[in-house]
Amino acid sequence: MMSNLTRAERANAMVIAGTGAFIGLVMAAAGRGDPMGAHGWIVLAFCGALFFVVGSAYEDPEPTQDRTASYYDDPTKVGILIALFWAVVGMGMGVWVASQLAWPDLRFDAAWSSFGRIRPVHTSGVIFGFGGNALIATSFHIMQRTCRARMPDQVTPWFVLLGFNLFCIVASSGYLMGVTQSKEYAEPEWYADLWLVVVWVVYFVLYIRTLARRNEPHIYVANWYYLAFILVVAVLHIVNNLAVPASLTGAKSYSAFAGVQDAMTQWWYGHNAVAFFLTSGFLGMLYYFLPKRAERPIYSYRLSILSFWGITFFYIWAGSHHLHYTALPHWVQTLGMTFSVMLLVPSWASAGNALMTLNGAWHKVRDDATLRFMMVAAVFYGLSTFEGSFMAIRPVNGLSHYTDWTVGHVHAGAMGWVALISFGSIYALAPVLWRRETIYSWKAVEWHFWLALAGTVIYVFAMWNSGITQGLMWRTYTESGTLAYSFTDTLVAMHPYYVARTFGGLLFLIGACIGAWNVVMTIRRMPSETPERDYPTSSESREPALPAAE
Amino acid sequence: MRVISEKHDRKVRPAPSGPVTRAERSASVRPAANGHGVCLISVPNISCGACVARIERALIDCPGVVAARANLTLRQVRVTLTDANTDPSPGYEALAALGYTARPLDPSDTEPASAQQDGPDLLRCIAVAGFGAMNVMLLSVAVWSGAEATTRDTFHLISALIAVPVVAYAGQPFFRSALVVLRGGRLNMDVPIALAVLLALALSLSELLQGGDHVFFDAAVTLLFFLLTGRYLDQLMRDRARSAVTGLARLSPKGAMARGPDGSLEWIALHAVAKGMILHIDAGERVPVDVRILHGDTDLDRSLVTGEAMPVAASPGTELEAGTLNLTGGIEVEVLRPVAESFLAEMMRMLSAAETSRSTYVRIADRAARLYAPVVHLLAVATFAGWLLVTGDWQVSAFVAISVLIITCPCALGLAVPVAQVVAAGRLMRSGILMKDGSALERLAQIDRAVFDKTGTLTTGTPMVTSCFEGEAEQREASKALAMQSRHPAAQAIAAHLPEVACEVADAVEVPGFGVEGRVHGRRARLGRARWVAEIAADPQAATGPAFAFEGAPALSFDLSETLRPGAVDTISDMQSSGIPVTMLSGDDAARVAQVAETLGIAEAHHGMTPARKVGVLEDLRDRGHRALMVGDGLNDTAALAAAHVSMAPSTAADAGRTAADFVFLRDGLDAVATAQDVARATARVVRQNFGLAIAYNCIAIPLAVAGLVTPLIAALAMSASSILVIGNSLRLNGKRAAAPLQSVERGPVAIPA
Amino acid sequence: MTILTLLIPVTLVMGAVGLGAFFWSLHSGQYEDLSGDAERILFDEDDKPLAAYPPGHSGTTKEKTP
Repeated sequence: MMSNLTRAERANAMVIAGTGAFIGLVMAAAGRGDPMGAHGWIVLAFCGALFFVVGSAYEDPEPTQDRTASYYDDPTKVGILIALFWAVVGMGMGVWVASQLAWPDLRFDAAWSSFGRIRPVHTSGVIFGFGGNALIATSFHIMQRTCRARMPDQVTPWFVLLGFNLFCIVASSGYLMGVTQSKEYAEPEWYADLWLVVVWVVYFVLYIRTLARRNEPHIYVANWYYLAFILVVAVLHIVNNLAVPASLTGAKSYSAFAGVQDAMTQWWYGHNAVAFFLTSGFLGMLYYFLPKRAERPIYSYRLSILSFWGITFFYIWAGSHHLHYTALPHWVQTLGMTFSVMLLVPSWASAGNALMTLNGAWHKVRDDATLRFMMVAAVFYGLSTFEGSFMAIRPVNGLSHYTDWTVGHVHAGAMGWVALISFGSIYALAPVLWRRETIYSWKAVEWHFWLALAGTVIYVFAMWNSGITQGLMWRTYTESGTLAYSFTDTLVAMHPYYVARTFGGLLFLIGACIGAWNVVMTIRRMPSETPERDYPTSSESREPALPAAE
Repeated sequence: MRVISEKHDRKVRPAPSGPVTRAERSASVRPAANGHGVCLISVPNISCGACVARIERALIDCPGVVAARANLTLRQVRVTLTDANTDPSPGYEALAALGYTARPLDPSDTEPASAQQDGPDLLRCIAVAGFGAMNVMLLSVAVWSGAEATTRDTFHLISALIAVPVVAYAGQPFFRSALVVLRGGRLNMDVPIALAVLLALALSLSELLQGGDHVFFDAAVTLLFFLLTGRYLDQLMRDRARSAVTGLARLSPKGAMARGPDGSLEWIALHAVAKGMILHIDAGERVPVDVRILHGDTDLDRSLVTGEAMPVAASPGTELEAGTLNLTGGIEVEVLRPVAESFLAEMMRMLSAAETSRSTYVRIADRAARLYAPVVHLLAVATFAGWLLVTGDWQVSAFVAISVLIITCPCALGLAVPVAQVVAAGRLMRSGILMKDGSALERLAQIDRAVFDKTGTLTTGTPMVTSCFEGEAEQREASKALAMQSRHPAAQAIAAHLPEVACEVADAVEVPGFGVEGRVHGRRARLGRARWVAEIAADPQAATGPAFAFEGAPALSFDLSETLRPGAVDTISDMQSSGIPVTMLSGDDAARVAQVAETLGIAEAHHGMTPARKVGVLEDLRDRGHRALMVGDGLNDTAALAAAHVSMAPSTAADAGRTAADFVFLRDGLDAVATAQDVARATARVVRQNFGLAIAYNCIAIPLAVAGLVTPLIAALAMSASSILVIGNSLRLNGKRAAAPLQSVERGPVAIPA
Repeated sequence: MTILTLLIPVTLVMGAVGLGAFFWSLHSGQYEDLSGDAERILFDEDDKPLAAYPPGHSGTTKEKTP
């Protein structure tokens, strides 16, 4: 890994790591007695370890071959492995959180393990840890391949990847200590947010620099999706996290907005995070790896560009549907509802485009579990965007909001779409990155696929049932006009679904563990026998677009 | 990960004319930035991504090539050379080796139609209108949902700040067009559009200034967006067909090799060729101007000029028309007439004469607009007057009148025709049929007569061996070997017909006008004209077709005949049974014409037709009130193609023919004609339905608008709904499965004495 | 809803950035050969960057060799 860096680059990396360690030390000193102090020690340890790793290899020989003749894949490789690590951690946390709902004793009476603290570890772990690292790693791969150019330098990608992971570690360790802004998907406190801004700006500049040195004149559509992901997430993150620290030596801060204004900003952010973190970037992944794996160009490239602009424009105002029947003015709610419904058009255009790409190559989908991951992801994308538009309609939301239906909807998207497309992409990517002919075990990929699919379906169905039951029980009145069920009654009714949900999540977690094992084995050794079908077999089914131009 | 399939088995037909001269290729290189040279090459048979990869890979390995980029949409390759003086020929050879037809492309051919119009590009207008529509719509939805008081006024103000520049920029295509038409004292669809948009904007601004409730900024901007989309689709369709047609191999040479007084050869541009000049025309080249042969013997393919399929021998003294293809031998010729007076130019004059007579056709959308625009404007005026009389409040009256204008604005009408035609064009293109413009589709749906040219249209124009001697393995191998030495169509037909492996041939010589001679297994052998072969054969009596003989051995003969285009029989019989009488026009002799007519069951066949008489037949049909489809390929058909109500040409047609025809089909089979006709009729049906939908919508909306019941919300929703309905209905055209094109010869060759 | 005085300008600016990006892409010929560009990502027999193409020109260039 270090052998691909020149001595000057190693020195730069050490300066950056050293500066980080110093900042950690300052935080630790200034924040004594506050969780910020603990975070300082974590930053110091993280940066110190990096300093040590780079420093111990400082005197190693420098790279001899012309580095511009190859792509820079080391950060991608590490990113994929980190993503898989976070997948196991985040999903494991998810299973634990789900179990706590079914069996509350699993909290073990500790403060750090209470539901409110480990739930954000789960959400941030899977969204930012797994999803974010998968996005960063695949974006490094895709931007180099589609530009047919190497990244402009070797230190920046490491800064982005490791800096982002430092943010993830600070965030999740903070949750366990009770450090939170109490904003969904934006829990980390002010110093972590500031750090993420730095990392994110460097990420954006790195992407633009790579595009600027491209040797392929056309910018493939996946890059547009990734760029929108990076740029918009930066803007959202900055606006939503505008806050005033209570003191520079403590973690606590206060939002710049108050009351319903704060709620509006939060969901303007929250829903756009769904749009640009959990959709746009992963669509970029889909638009690259699906055609690549199916060995067919995207069904309608024009449509993929059109739906890019559609998604970019329609998503912006959909967020207020999270605040139906609140103090938010009625017309703002209606606005969010209208745009959420209209959003269905570009969303289904993308899902349809993906499925039409596979039309004519169904035999490959049948034979190749990797491609099947992507196909099912596109189906779940279509399903959950439809469900989302439906749930944004105010009367429907009256039943669904604050129930498990919302949880089911989120997981249909997160497990069915985000995780499946990421796993599919990782399986397609791993053999390319590590120059293996195939993945280690195609059987394991099959197992993972069926476990993930079964887990998602069980989870989502359990939550639909539980959510609708819950919603109906809450709104049932007796003849005398009082509520028919107490809150405890609803919890009793939910219990079997919570058990089923835990089981579904467990299946999904087992699948993720198999996936991580399979990738590690792909790296560690070659398969003993040539797999029969990991790879698409041939390109015989490529029909000519135009029958006769002879 | 992916290996590009080697079994790229697409049949590659040789270029209709021979290779381009080296000089012509070099002349196509233009200097570019950094001292590099750039040339554009048209490669009509790029058909998939694998072709792109293969072509770029092959070109980049050529000497002098710095970069190469193939464009799959336009079927062109852009090659960057080390400098402007680099010879691009190795690139052409590499392309030819891969089986691709390659011709230099004149940059002037590739200018898109949009570049000629002034004002901003349509796509830019759409982007601006789309941006405006999204944001104004957002603010409007907020207002409709109940944003009140200051919030509402602020939103109206922001809407105005967005809408005014957006309309000023994106509305230009409509404003310009409306202005031009109004200056000419006429009306078209753009007049009500421009009026509605401007009035909506003006009324909204005045409402805004007075703090009124209703503003129409959203309607004005979304209207523009939808209409621009319709217009863009229309333009896209025409540009695409245009680029595909110009991308097809060009047949008319752009220059010639002139012999200077010192005997040197120099390439000169076509317009510089003067009477009395001596030109050198290589085998495989096309004759650029009318000439007389001074030296050399050769065979000529005059099929594009006269419609005669079989090559004819030529010797000094023969006069050649421009467009003739020189097949076998290099010749020195004297220029008889300058370019402007050549046969080709004569054809062009007839063509433009015929075209002006056809330009009277009015497109269906414009016909609708002529009726529609006055009605709408009168209605708006009447509404204004009515409301003014009843209420006496001119402001309310103006508001209602403008609501009428907006709601009746031909949004759906503007989309009704282009969307249907674009979908149809896409379907035709997938079936290998290119359509020049939407009106052609309208005209094709109306035909009640069909006129076909014979050679190159009903028949493929290339000969095929119908019978040859059997057994005699040695003779067959030798025949094949000799046949492979020549590019004469008869020799190529023989080579293709014989399955044997060719044997070694020594000292092969092609004697232009006669045949090929060589030594096979030490024996002298000839393949060619029967009389010439008989000179060395044992039996002196000559067969009619081409023959082969070893010296001193008996001559063995081949029978050649024209082949019918695949699908010809079915197409003709289907047309006749569906009530469209078919006429055949040919410059060929009576016997061959009669034979083809009989095979195809065509009752009315004219032989010995000159270009002028062909036009005469079509004009006669038109005068009798018929709407005729002309299908032809030759230069001699060009004027007739233009004179017909609607016309089609195969992609192998003469350059001028392809330009004159409304449709060009890239596939081999004549069933393209039936496919195009089916699509045209289906499109006409859908267009009628779309008009029906738009009118039905207006019938409901206008009374509401006149009654003053339409708020901006209802107007915007109704407008979008009708547009989406029309688009949805048009997309049904895609549902019909395109018939698989015929690729192989389905009927055997017709025995026509060659 | 005073927060909208912040969110609306932010959104409009992002939209304008998008519009600018679209204009740039149109100007730089990004949409000249969509069918070809969809195919291009599938070419990868050699997983290597290309040599820089001559400035002002575009197209497949000779491959880099290590």
